[in-house]
Amino acid sequence: MIEKITAYRFERLDETLSQLNREDCAIIAGGTDVMVLHKSRRGVPPKIPKPIVFINHLSELKQVYQHHKDLHIGACCTYSELLENPLIPFALKNAIKTIAAPAIRNRGTLGGNICNASPAGDMLPLLYVYNAKVLLRSVKGDRMVEISDFIQGPRQVQRFHNEMVTEIILPFVLGDSHVVFEKVGNRNADAIAKVSFAGFVRMSKGRIDDIRFAFGAVGPTMVRSIDIERRLVGKTIPLADADIAEIVAAFDKIIRPIDDQRSTAAYRKTVALHLLRYFLSMKQYQPN
Amino acid sequence: MITFTLNGRTVETDAPVTARLLDLLREEFELIGTKEGCGEGECGACSVFVNNLLQNSCLIPIGSIAGADIQTIEGIIETKQFKILDESYSIAGGVQCGYCIPGMIMASAALLSENPHPSEAEIREGISGNLCRCTGYNMIVDAINLAAKKGDGL
Repeated sequence: MIEKITAYRFERLDETLSQLNREDCAIIAGGTDVMVLHKSRRGVPPKIPKPIVFINHLSELKQVYQHHKDLHIGACCTYSELLENPLIPFALKNAIKTIAAPAIRNRGTLGGNICNASPAGDMLPLLYVYNAKVLLRSVKGDRMVEISDFIQGPRQVQRFHNEMVTEIILPFVLGDSHVVFEKVGNRNADAIAKVSFAGFVRMSKGRIDDIRFAFGAVGPTMVRSIDIERRLVGKTIPLADADIAEIVAAFDKIIRPIDDQRSTAAYRKTVALHLLRYFLSMKQYQPN
Repeated sequence: MITFTLNGRTVETDAPVTARLLDLLREEFELIGTKEGCGEGECGACSVFVNNLLQNSCLIPIGSIAGADIQTIEGIIETKQFKILDESYSIAGGVQCGYCIPGMIMASAALLSENPHPSEAEIREGISGNLCRCTGYNMIVDAINLAAKKGDGL
């Protein structure tokens, strides 16, 4: 029996958006998550419950450019394309090198990683600490959403069916910053994180001007607390032990991981707090 | 109907657009050098080139490859680079059961095409998406190292 599948692959973005305005479709960029999510047994095509729109050939979604000093990244840029692009910050490239493996990096897209909204999404902790915004486009126009508002829960994003994520915007950061990304998994390549962590710090005149942390795979969405971050503004590095202990204790209260097939709640929490403590224990500020 | 280039030949298929490239290659085109391991993009046994880039064919819906240039292990077998890799894997003892090898060769070829003289760390990174349950990888790393020396820029 052959089931009829409706699929579209338009040459232009505007035609694609018109179709999305007419019907609710499954959007496929690289497909690295959706093909696994809907996997059938061997030889049987994945069953995707909606009409399909392929978008990863659209050149409009692969642009990277600076506008008013903000960095705009096309949603269909693959990880490999980001690694090669001179505009992408060095710290982000270093993180991408620890994500997946060459074959997936040649296919998986930044927009796809966001819209898949996995609690363990590799790029998400970094995008949270960069205060990234998501640009959604429909036939009616554009709208911009903070990434932390866009991602609402596991596989849940604030996207209407007539919209598409077209760009990810990294707001301009004044001056140098130090950014780290840590991922803990069973294997360096191609592993889904047990815990991930991104840290961002910017100093001005020897004092912390801006500091941000995001934890992945320890809750339904990334864990970030602007209230806790603010407590460190104005401090010097190295931080006092008491300050470090206070911040770790504050996150201890809000990080609530679960047990699953990849790890346990206890392990995740312990490691998440260790990663935080390690980041806070930096002896000197080295912008990257 | 989807048209694309397969190992240098223009081909057509009327398989469903969500069909995996892996299944199409093995079942419709009988190119069984491309293997299925995990079916989730974690093992690399199904690696092919899409427009000269290494990708996992188990994750590719064929609707997304219209007009693309696909090469499988069968498509690179006549290249000088393949012959050197073939020889080097034999000399280094890089092949045991052999199931991962088509994918390993594709990953090795992709690496050497981009970086003809990789360091050991770069070799390990290049094959990091490919699992081998027999060799423990060291002999495969040796094989690629040998191929890099013998190929000298291939």
